[in-house]
Amino acid sequence: MSEQAQVSSVKNVEFHYRGIIQKLLAKKTCRDILLAARSEGKVGVTYGRYGDAPERDGVPSKYFSVMAGHDQELEAELTKYAADNVNISIVPDDTMIKGVEPWAWHGILPIHQALKENGFMIVVSNRSPQELLKHIAKRDRPYKLCIIRGEASFAGLWVYNDDLTEERVLGAIAKVAPEIYTINALEKLFADRSHAEQRMAAARDAYDNCLVMEVGPGMGSDWYHPEIIKPKWWEMPEGIMVPGVPYGQRNPQFKRWTNRTVRPIVDFDKCIKCTLCWIECPDGAFDVTKDGYYPVNYEYCSGCGICSRVCPIKGCIEMVDELVFPDLNEHYGSWKSNREEYSKWIRQKKEEAGMVV
Amino acid sequence: MTSVVKLEKEEVINGCEAVARAVMLADVDVIATYPIRPYTEVMDIVQKQIADGQMDAELIHAESEHSQFEIAKHASACGARSFAGSSGTGWLYGTEAIVITATDRLPVVAMVGNRSLDDPGAFGVEHNDALIDRDIGWMLVWVDSQQEALDTTLIAYRVAEDPSVMLPCAVATDGAFLTHSTALVRVPDKSLVDKFLPPYNLGNRVLHPDNPVSVAPQVDQDWVMELRKQNDEAMKRSKGVIRKAYAEFYEIFKRGDPQSPFIEEYMTDGADYVLVGMGTLSSPVKVAVRKLREKGEKVGFVRVRWFRPFPAEDLRKSLAKFKAVGVVDRDYSFGSPNYGGILYNEVRSTLYSLPNRPSVICLISGLGGREVSADNAVEMFRAVEQAYKKNNMDVEAKWIGLRE
Repeated sequence: MSEQAQVSSVKNVEFHYRGIIQKLLAKKTCRDILLAARSEGKVGVTYGRYGDAPERDGVPSKYFSVMAGHDQELEAELTKYAADNVNISIVPDDTMIKGVEPWAWHGILPIHQALKENGFMIVVSNRSPQELLKHIAKRDRPYKLCIIRGEASFAGLWVYNDDLTEERVLGAIAKVAPEIYTINALEKLFADRSHAEQRMAAARDAYDNCLVMEVGPGMGSDWYHPEIIKPKWWEMPEGIMVPGVPYGQRNPQFKRWTNRTVRPIVDFDKCIKCTLCWIECPDGAFDVTKDGYYPVNYEYCSGCGICSRVCPIKGCIEMVDELVFPDLNEHYGSWKSNREEYSKWIRQKKEEAGMVV
Repeated sequence: MTSVVKLEKEEVINGCEAVARAVMLADVDVIATYPIRPYTEVMDIVQKQIADGQMDAELIHAESEHSQFEIAKHASACGARSFAGSSGTGWLYGTEAIVITATDRLPVVAMVGNRSLDDPGAFGVEHNDALIDRDIGWMLVWVDSQQEALDTTLIAYRVAEDPSVMLPCAVATDGAFLTHSTALVRVPDKSLVDKFLPPYNLGNRVLHPDNPVSVAPQVDQDWVMELRKQNDEAMKRSKGVIRKAYAEFYEIFKRGDPQSPFIEEYMTDGADYVLVGMGTLSSPVKVAVRKLREKGEKVGFVRVRWFRPFPAEDLRKSLAKFKAVGVVDRDYSFGSPNYGGILYNEVRSTLYSLPNRPSVICLISGLGGREVSADNAVEMFRAVEQAYKKNNMDVEAKWIGLRE
């Protein structure tokens, strides 16, 4: 059928990862996706794209695996800077579902910006789909949410954390997209590797047990991050000059919160106003109140945790899972209006995050 | 006219001193220095001018050319009129900072005392040092006399600092022949220069605690092309500013070539064959032109002053009149089309769009400071004529003055 002939054989897999700490996971998984697909006759390439010179701890970045039935279709697909219509989007850290700024200066984008209609978003998470959808932006086109149970896997630039996250992701792909490769391809892939049986068992576990849910149009949270409109060449200041931000204001183009997996929570009742958090914060994310407290501006905090480490008071600043917070609002106001309520609220959030309180 | 004469003093100075006088007259705020002959003498003279109380400027002696150009660039970003300079391989060592000066659109003026690149070590002139920076947004101008060196340095500041341009400018002066030979030079009074050259004003781009700005942050593929386009347009706009500056310069100093700032045409009326070149080789070529004209031969010379922005329109208009053109390159570009020099390939590509374009050959000569004699120039005219008559213009460059 002529119609049949026009259907593209291209399959794009996008791997969102956190700069440095998931770089090897992304690179290795994408290569193995291609190797598995290759063993079933496809051709392909993998490539990384990053925005933040080139990537730093936690900065959302992307890796891709692009496969096709033949070379010319693959070549045509690769004329794009980055795949913009992906069949599968992998999110190995569920805190990224709030939105990512994958390329510096692009503004914050929904996690499924590049996901095709009816594409699969595979998230590594211990949360339910309903919990995740509280944070994932609504969109018009339906897609499928696939959850693999587990914690986010973090490592270092030179260190690979061989905790079977990759194998579980590979297994889930075989389940939701057997047209890319089947579960049998993974048997071949792991055959020569150490602990082949364990690897295959992890892949098969995800294959059998990953949870798939249809997400219809309009399901999810409201999106409130502004679209960044890039200026024309004649609209930009000459001399690569960026105007400074007046004292007391912040640069709306340098919100770095999507780097964050945990956020500092300040128990103002315990604060002794020593100023160390404010002084040591590398992102200048602390505001200063008239009465001498230092609340965090959660649009600018990158979640590095330095404040919690320099704070001399036990339990005053603690890092808490980003996904137990619905928004980026500051907390100081609620402490001012009702200290008792605020204290309860902190306790509740730490419990939600699974921290021992 | 009389008033100009009164306000000028005639001095016997060399090319380096002429540039140093211009630096003083332009009231330059920051001078960054590092020695390398032939540029070194500019540094020496400026230091003496400061020591003698003739000028008030911050002179920073760097530990290398790289730092030297970094200093000039940063001073310029802080709103200080800045000057630097170098020669040969030293100019190349400063390249990283030199490139950034252009991309950051900072109107530093520099003197290149043209010197051959190492190896072998040689003090003599070649143009490859300055031409290394032909592509990156520096304006490049060649002079052929001590007077023109002084005048052009002033013009360079006027053009570079024009708000519609804001690009650095290098004044290229042939090593030894110009930098270390003296001539009678009219040195104007500062009051005249003040009329010509307004104070440097970087506007809202100035780096100052009262004006917090960031210059040149890391950007990505979404921004670089727009920034390059800005440089491209600034270079285009500089042409009009150069014309205006020469006209204003003439109004005040009654000197220069306001009708044709970019190229000088010498005895080209009715010429069949002309040579094209830059810098001090103008003098042997002019001698040869006069000699041949006396014998009734229709020859002439076109000297290119501004290499960037390249005077494509002026050259098309001028060279279209002739049968054949020989471009004399005091530089080389090994492996380039017809194994010609850099100027040759620029001129040749400029003429491509003409319906009746003249034929062009390349003559490489005077490398490493070798003398280009009037006889060499006659030989060049013969080569052009011969190639034209044999209808064989697409030939490899001829090396004139080579022992062979």
